[in-house]
Amino acid sequence: MRRRVVVTGIGMVTPLGNSVAETWEGMRNGRSGVARITRFDASTLPTKIAAEVKHLDLHSIVPNADRYEFSGYNTKFAVAAAKMALDDSGLDVNRVDRARLGVYLGAGEGQHDFERFVQTLAPCYHDGRVAVPEFSSRGLKHLHPQKEWEQDPNMPAGHVAALVGAQGPNYNCLTACAASSQAIGEALELIRRGDADVMVSGGAHTMIHPFGVVGFNLLTALSTRNDEPERASRPFDQERDGFILGEGGGMVILEELQHAKSRGAKIYGELIGYGSTADAYRMTDPHPEGRGAIRAIRDAFTDAEIGPTDIQYVNAHGTSTGGGDVAETVSMKVAFGDHARNVPISSIKSMTGHLIAAAGAVELITCLLTIRDGVIPPTINYEFPDPQCDLDYVPNTAREAKVDVALSNSFGFGGQNVCLVARRFTG
Amino acid sequence: MGVISPIGIGTSAFWESLTAGKSGVGRIEAFDPTGLPITFAGQVRGYDAKKFVPTSQRKNLKIMARDIQLAVGTAKLALEDAGLLESRPTADRFGVEFGASMSSSDLDELAPAARDSVDEASHLDYQKWGTSSMSSMPPLWMLKYLPNMPACHVSILYNLEGPNNSITQAEAASNLAIGEAYRIIARGAADLMLAGGCDSKIHPLLMIRFGFGMLTSKRNDAPEQACRPFDADRDGVVPGEGSGVLILEEYEHAKKRGAKIYAELVGFGAGCDAFDPTRRETDGTGLRIAMQAALRDARMNADEIGYYNAHGVSTPDGDRAEARALREAIGDHALEIPVSAHKSNTGNTVGGCGAIEFVAGVLALQHGVVPHTINYERADPDCPLSVVAGSPRELKKPSFLSASCTRLGQAAALVARTI
Repeated sequence: MRRRVVVTGIGMVTPLGNSVAETWEGMRNGRSGVARITRFDASTLPTKIAAEVKHLDLHSIVPNADRYEFSGYNTKFAVAAAKMALDDSGLDVNRVDRARLGVYLGAGEGQHDFERFVQTLAPCYHDGRVAVPEFSSRGLKHLHPQKEWEQDPNMPAGHVAALVGAQGPNYNCLTACAASSQAIGEALELIRRGDADVMVSGGAHTMIHPFGVVGFNLLTALSTRNDEPERASRPFDQERDGFILGEGGGMVILEELQHAKSRGAKIYGELIGYGSTADAYRMTDPHPEGRGAIRAIRDAFTDAEIGPTDIQYVNAHGTSTGGGDVAETVSMKVAFGDHARNVPISSIKSMTGHLIAAAGAVELITCLLTIRDGVIPPTINYEFPDPQCDLDYVPNTAREAKVDVALSNSFGFGGQNVCLVARRFTG
Repeated sequence: MGVISPIGIGTSAFWESLTAGKSGVGRIEAFDPTGLPITFAGQVRGYDAKKFVPTSQRKNLKIMARDIQLAVGTAKLALEDAGLLESRPTADRFGVEFGASMSSSDLDELAPAARDSVDEASHLDYQKWGTSSMSSMPPLWMLKYLPNMPACHVSILYNLEGPNNSITQAEAASNLAIGEAYRIIARGAADLMLAGGCDSKIHPLLMIRFGFGMLTSKRNDAPEQACRPFDADRDGVVPGEGSGVLILEEYEHAKKRGAKIYAELVGFGAGCDAFDPTRRETDGTGLRIAMQAALRDARMNADEIGYYNAHGVSTPDGDRAEARALREAIGDHALEIPVSAHKSNTGNTVGGCGAIEFVAGVLALQHGVVPHTINYERADPDCPLSVVAGSPRELKKPSFLSASCTRLGQAAALVARTI
């Protein structure tokens, strides 16, 4: 029989709060974390709003926080959430085989050290070309060595490994908006097949920086409802006009069942299904009939040895874009058949914004909290039904419901689809 | 298999250069490197991406950074070699797994935006960034540089709808990608996987970063001799660019369609130092754990391994750590096992290096020959290894162990053997 994998610790830093408790409280109350961008002056950009993490004090969370002084936000969010998850799990890393304790993150690409980079580059542009030798000598003088090194996308996983002492397999995957779901799915497989007993897995990301906002604005993917930030992220609503950038980190401790049992660990739930597919369609659009998404859902069901009617809650990808929400609804209808109309589906991105690479991890944790507390978080800002999105999106207020099995969907830019299934642990 | 490397495009050219001891390292031609601490690199020469994508898709080359362009070309070579270019079995059982890095933006593309947002005293004005700067950037700018794009473009070009992943663990990335693709097939989630890696570090900003690490070679007057893994006079990394791709296939599936079989992938393991990443270089802990796990997975003893296909990053500390890791992983066999580091020819292609070196290993199995490590002239007592030097050597046992490792000690190892 294949090895079973349970979640024994969770940690979150999100626009709704710098802990699991605060974030969950915010979701249950249908609170929005969206506001005017404060991290830089975004007043002239098409999109001036985002869901930022507020007042993160790393010193109160991790030891020797000074060592992250030159790290990017991805690393800061990652180590904060990982430390919370590790503490929550009660795992004593001195009592585990560290070569069998690994890390699999879906943490974002590092952001440029924006001001220094732009100020280095600007004067080197002459007659339509960059004078590279000038850029090189300016760069060597003005750029900050450690801040440059810290931008590599393998850094957050390296920092998390150092923080927890994990000498086992160490990965970071970047599959856009599906990344941390994929990381958790792959970490599940690592434990199942016996390459590790415990994995710290999840994601951390921010794209709330001048390049990120401009990049998405150029693709016209973001909401521009600047006058009503709290109402801007409105998945499945007729008046949706794009997604809202969020940021943060979510981490879980995945543990082989016997390993968890033998140390008497608290168990949030069992991870029972993982599906991963590609649309192979277009760079910027999901497949309109949800071809890859449907297969990812079905693959996750097959892996979990369950059928669609076993699912009692779906945490949607639901980004609040025109095409994406329709494609997801279509996929749900095909993959779930008649049950699509009965199963509650909600998008917490309505409250947290889109945490991009980190979104899936926070959403899986939400599924586990729903299973634990019997509360389904709402899709807020759902006011005007869209005839093309006609399912039960748990509008505006949280709903009490006993949920034993939940599905989390994550669909990435470029066509990567990842689905995870979590189940209440009953022995 | 497919390879696009500083020493040749395609496996034949690559193998010929490897066995001839050719170096692909030279003064940077893509831009004027004057003023950089390192002015040379392992460069892919004569690659015309247009010839590697179908006519209907050529417009997409504009939204592919250099590393993505190398990846789509290498994928085509690999599919062709496997007899899967014209027709392929069911799309949903064929996945893609790449090791890749975040590419850096073309400076010419960003410079107008940068210029528009600063005043004469070089002060940044964010309000200008939101107006004139934004309008001077190409609409699809962001898509060109994301690390998942090599795997996405390849999946779209060839309609590969199976599991799709992109791993960004620098030098360990493509070994991890190949290892995971192997596991995906082993667990039955796909029959075929296109797996490999790609990268290009030939970019002014990335070369500045290498320079900041103080880890690059100083041999600006003799680039071809600069990358000298395990040699006593090695003095640093030589950045490079390139891509390697393998088609991994479930054995019965390959037999049934009468596919040419190069080798069997039999072992995979990964590990990590877990020391403070602000430290400059690995101490080899992760590498040791990875190699031990891969050999255990392969159910092979070190004395059954034909050669060690080394990481060989060519820094004083890095190579010493690797030699120690090998010794700790396989004991005294480490003194005898033939070792070769193909970075001596190509430089460090980072996200691509594991895959390119794996291709070299498989070609070594096919030819029964271990290509030598070039520039290995003076043994280093701190690296007590049997480095294959001077000329290629007969491969006595049809198998190899290959390992790659990041500066932080994130490591992955693979074992392959002839069927």
